[in-house]
Amino acid sequence: MTNWVGFGTIVRREFKRTMMTINQVVWPPIITTLLFLFIFGVGLGSSVRLMNGVPYIVFLLPGLVMLNVIASSYDEAASSLFQQRFQLSIQELLIAPLSDLELLLGYLTGSILRGIVIGGLIMFIGLLVVHVAPQNGLILFGFMFATSLLFSSLGMIGALLARTFDNLAIVTTFFITPLTYVGGVFSSLHALPPLVQRVSLFNPILYMIDGLRYGYIGRSDISPAIDAAVVATLAAVAFTISLLMVRKGVNLRV
Amino acid sequence: MQGDGRADIGATAPALKVSHLVKRYGTFTAVDDLSFDVAPGEFFGFLGPNGAGKTTTINAIVGLATFRSGNISVFGADVVREYRRARSYIGLSPQDFNFDRYLTAEEILTYQAGYYGITPARAKPRVEELLDQFELSDKRRLTYLQLSGGFKRRLALARALVHSPRMLILDEPTAGLDVELRLELWDFLRTINAAGMTVVLTSHYLEEVELLCSRIGIINYGRLVALEDKRALIARHGQGSLQDVFLELVGRRPLA
Repeated sequence: MTNWVGFGTIVRREFKRTMMTINQVVWPPIITTLLFLFIFGVGLGSSVRLMNGVPYIVFLLPGLVMLNVIASSYDEAASSLFQQRFQLSIQELLIAPLSDLELLLGYLTGSILRGIVIGGLIMFIGLLVVHVAPQNGLILFGFMFATSLLFSSLGMIGALLARTFDNLAIVTTFFITPLTYVGGVFSSLHALPPLVQRVSLFNPILYMIDGLRYGYIGRSDISPAIDAAVVATLAAVAFTISLLMVRKGVNLRV
Repeated sequence: MQGDGRADIGATAPALKVSHLVKRYGTFTAVDDLSFDVAPGEFFGFLGPNGAGKTTTINAIVGLATFRSGNISVFGADVVREYRRARSYIGLSPQDFNFDRYLTAEEILTYQAGYYGITPARAKPRVEELLDQFELSDKRRLTYLQLSGGFKRRLALARALVHSPRMLILDEPTAGLDVELRLELWDFLRTINAAGMTVVLTSHYLEEVELLCSRIGIINYGRLVALEDKRALIARHGQGSLQDVFLELVGRRPLA
């Protein structure tokens, strides 16, 4: 019998944690994105005529949304679980009648909610600035959800493997941030030199931003079906690995 | 999920049955072929020097440690195959404080009940009862870091009881407590044991174990070296106290 109340309690706890750290985790990405929109979109963007057939600020918005979905999802799962491991409070959950799947889904749901809520808030505020409505809300949401699931799962893996808080920053600093910034947030794939275009195709974040942009402006550099396949496959692989690690009790059960 | 369903098949089974438990960390054997039972309603003392395997055994019982060899059941529920039922029967007060730092004392109890499948509305009367019982009512809005050592220990015990378990496992419950609070806690434990709660106690205070427990198990280097009624154990070894028996069985270890 599924322990739905237990699962819901983990989600509630994650939400409470987010609200208690709202000045660290909610407002900064929103303010940073508004600054990005203002400086790159309104300021520097005025010198760029069109990108993929739309004003630069419109092109920019979905990339900025995805950037924050990725960062928020990873950060929530990674820091929350690692903190609980570090402070031993994870034991409260490990001795409770919760299955490994319920425990994992509780954390992932909390992280996905944070990622999507922050991404949604940025999208909403962005829409007030750019005055262009999304072409397909379902596709937009689908890419946000799958990307958030992928990075929440990666956050869980990171939190299970990390030995110090500093370890957690390795993934963000050396992988997520650089790959996100060169993953098509600021320019179209077609605007890059041919060699860089070919190298960029190995960057998985490109497909996430491209797919989200398709949902928003109805145009993409890559086929949206390929975008969806890449993101869904990576999310499924990351989720499976995180579930296997929780089942095995890696750095959870001695 | 609450552990107070008395009418199930676990009612006639031992409260705790550990059979041939082996736990290894690499080449080090922490627990070596350990077997013992605890009867329902018993006050059982589980003793051993530091590093003997007590906490490892407790961790295996409650689900914090995995093991490849042996079986453990709680009121007839296997802790691996029927982990939901087994865990709902157990309340654990651990040696180290492991509270969630984002939560207040009241929330710690409500959330813990939630992890056991009890909604906040259903948990509320029990949480109020425990806050009152452990004199935590006026400290309900404080986080654990704002509580004194004595109140942290009370909160740990309240948390262990919030889902109404049938067996309470106490790992060094009086460590760091002053005499007054220790006596209060002893009275409380006697009362809940008299009401039918099975209690498993590990403690380095041997006078505490001698006073409270009816049966004793002593573990050394992962192996059980004694398991019998307290009085019989002391009498059989011809000693005056449990401490003398303990030292005879486990020996004095050099400091180095």
